[in-house]
Amino acid sequence: MAQSTTRGKAQLWVYAGLVILFLLPLILPRFYIYLASIILLTGLLATSLNFVLGYGGIFQFHHAVFYGVGAYATALMLTRSDFSPWLGFIVGPFIAGLLSLVMGLICIRLSKLYFGMLQISLGSLVWIIVYRWYSFTGGDDGIHGVPLPDIISSPNSAYYFTLIVTAISLFVMYKIIKSPFGSVLQGIRDNPVRSEMIGINVKRHQLLALIIAGFFAGVAGSLFVVVDNTAFPDMLFWTLSLEVLIMCLLGGWFTFLGPMLGAAIIIALRTFISTYTTYWALVLGVLMMLVIFFLPNGVLGYVEEKIKKGFIEPVIKE
Amino acid sequence: MDFIYAIVPPRVLSQILVGLSRTTILFIVSSGLSLILGVLRIPNVAHGSLYMIGAFMAYSLSVLFGGGDLGFWMALIGAPIGVAIVSLVAERGLFQYLYEREHLMLLLLTFAFSLVFGDLVKIVWGTEYKSVPVPHVFQGFINLFGGLPFPLYNLFLLIVGPIVAVALWLFVNKTKIGKIARAAAVDREMVGAVGINVSWVFAIVFVIGCLLAGLGGVLVAPTVSVTLGMDHTLIMEAFLIVIMGGLGNIWGALLGALIFGLAQSLGILIWSQFGIIFPYAAVIVVLLFRPTGLLKSTW
Amino acid sequence: MLEVKSLSKSFDGFKAVNNANLDVQKGEIVAVIGPNGAGKTTLFNLITGILRPDSGTVHFKGENITGLPPYKVCRKRISRSFQVVNIFPRLTVFENVQVSILSREKKTWNLFTPSSKLVTDETSQILENVGLVEKRDRTTALLSHGDRKVLEIAMALGGDPEFLILDEPTAGMAPEETARCIELVKSLSGKLGLTILFCEHDMEIVFGIADRIMVMVRGATIVQGSCDEVRCNEAVQDAYLGGSDVCLM
Repeated sequence: MAQSTTRGKAQLWVYAGLVILFLLPLILPRFYIYLASIILLTGLLATSLNFVLGYGGIFQFHHAVFYGVGAYATALMLTRSDFSPWLGFIVGPFIAGLLSLVMGLICIRLSKLYFGMLQISLGSLVWIIVYRWYSFTGGDDGIHGVPLPDIISSPNSAYYFTLIVTAISLFVMYKIIKSPFGSVLQGIRDNPVRSEMIGINVKRHQLLALIIAGFFAGVAGSLFVVVDNTAFPDMLFWTLSLEVLIMCLLGGWFTFLGPMLGAAIIIALRTFISTYTTYWALVLGVLMMLVIFFLPNGVLGYVEEKIKKGFIEPVIKE
Repeated sequence: MDFIYAIVPPRVLSQILVGLSRTTILFIVSSGLSLILGVLRIPNVAHGSLYMIGAFMAYSLSVLFGGGDLGFWMALIGAPIGVAIVSLVAERGLFQYLYEREHLMLLLLTFAFSLVFGDLVKIVWGTEYKSVPVPHVFQGFINLFGGLPFPLYNLFLLIVGPIVAVALWLFVNKTKIGKIARAAAVDREMVGAVGINVSWVFAIVFVIGCLLAGLGGVLVAPTVSVTLGMDHTLIMEAFLIVIMGGLGNIWGALLGALIFGLAQSLGILIWSQFGIIFPYAAVIVVLLFRPTGLLKSTW
Repeated sequence: MLEVKSLSKSFDGFKAVNNANLDVQKGEIVAVIGPNGAGKTTLFNLITGILRPDSGTVHFKGENITGLPPYKVCRKRISRSFQVVNIFPRLTVFENVQVSILSREKKTWNLFTPSSKLVTDETSQILENVGLVEKRDRTTALLSHGDRKVLEIAMALGGDPEFLILDEPTAGMAPEETARCIELVKSLSGKLGLTILFCEHDMEIVFGIADRIMVMVRGATIVQGSCDEVRCNEAVQDAYLGGSDVCLM
């Protein structure tokens, strides 16, 4: 009984949060709205990584590839083709999902660290192609000044678009995690041998998880094009992949909203600290060390543990 | 000697040789990484930063000793030692408490270190490009195979590489510490139970691995501009080489470095725009056929 | 029902299983016994597809299942519990069994229905059969060792098996838990009509419930027969007792 009231309380917090987020443009200046958009879509990216990393136990070391590819696909559709821009927003995630399938098929035969390294190799390959193919992708310069439909071109409307798409995406991912597929995915994470032994084709399930994660990373990439009007090669660089991993760690990778929280903290900190010093990397490094030592389950994970302790003691006393 | 050109055109031959000298650097750094990974099971992302620190220290030492030949030789000796000291401090201060943690955590921790080191370099040395001059002894070219000009410094690298390889092999296989380290890699508790201070053995292995990274940095300094960001490109390459060769296997690192270096230089020759794909493609091919690496790994 | 012929498996030159033979009739309870390291778990791994044999065959209900991957073996209605407890640590007791049933019913590709609403009756039924109903919402970290082993069996039951393989089901259990477990195994065979293959070290249990026994020593089958045949078999005595003339027990 106590558990369902916490769930009820958590739902209340989520709704309250959504309402506040909807009202933000009325109170905050333009720059902060831009920042909020970036936080939302990066949080979506981090959550999509956590879908396979935290819930699936897959060592997805180069998730940024799908983000970058989604962004480039959308940007290219919008700048070079005459198709409707809305089609561009759909194509981006699908191409990212497709790439995820292809890379997944290649990497899935390996496990753990080797999976991660092979993914990094393949991802670096994609990065090189994007970086060097000047005539198609603009190379080092990236793509700028992407034309957007009027309805989402102002910062506020871009923000609302991002908010709505992110909320829907997160909702869908949450539903999937609560579904049988989600339970099976977590089972595979904890015990792949046992999962096989109860009749689950582990590799196939993992492949689907990878496609879903890649798809939503592509959504985040498309949103970035909406918010920033650009796409650039560093979106596919491995340092971004590691940064997203850090966001999941910081927020808590066994929780659903942890990565979003981690993204918010890191982006807010980075923006704030960069006004005082150029040594953001130093700060991030030290912050990471503190988190690894003291909060290995992340901020939200720590909070959840505290809440759960409130339940476990009464049970043991029974 | 001209018959060689019948088999291999001069441009290709010279690219191969350049690739091989690049291999030396890659091998030296990767072997250190492989050593740390194989014995201590730490995926040391900060290895690239230590390489960069080695290069910058080489610059400083070179300047300190007048910028000429003496500067280079002092740097060659001093910078690796400097890097070794830095790594010893890091190990005793932090790493030694973390050997039992999960790999993913260790990876993120060493990544945190690389971030910190990166900015420390920025603080100490600033953001401008630095350069270390090639010592007079190695300036200029030598005519190989009857007419092919080849930088003397690269020849120096080609000689240093195998020397380091043999020295490392001797250390790991023939010295007492090397044997203890290999045993401890497999079963730390047993080794400790036999009364050996495993903690210090691990520290020594870690320091030697990092020293190799610093050595790589010093050796590469005269051939490139010493800048920030050196660490990022190199660490990726080093990891891929280590995985390609087999975790913890020194000869594997050599083989991997050979493949990577040659693929890089020949790739650019064949396809100038996308040539740098070749080493990555090579890694992919190797991993698809031999997922655990070309040679036996210690994991 | 199950026929194992000349199964062999080596690891780096060490022959873990050496020409093993086994057959189990429908409805029987068969035990595999042998000294430690005799290869019993390896044999189970070979049958269930976790390992691929170097040579030999495994037939189930006349069909050749040698070398099939584990999930396919499970779909043939062979389920298994593990010697070292092998459950899903972060799920509750209920969820552990539920996943098993969802897998059997091929509902694992369902992305949108909340799992809490699916197969609840079947899950409760199994939990009742094994006696874990009151503990259904506990996370596995809070279970006693004995309960965890029972959960192992419950998960195996989730696959609606016809053939159940139990790897040392009572290992590490306290005496009352052991007695409960034996009752459970007997009822699985009696009430649910399952064919059971298990291995154990405790001879009392083995002779108490097994219809037939197969003895493995150093990876090879040395005898397969009824309890009495095995008790007085010389080779078995050599293996266990070093050649004395006394019948086991």
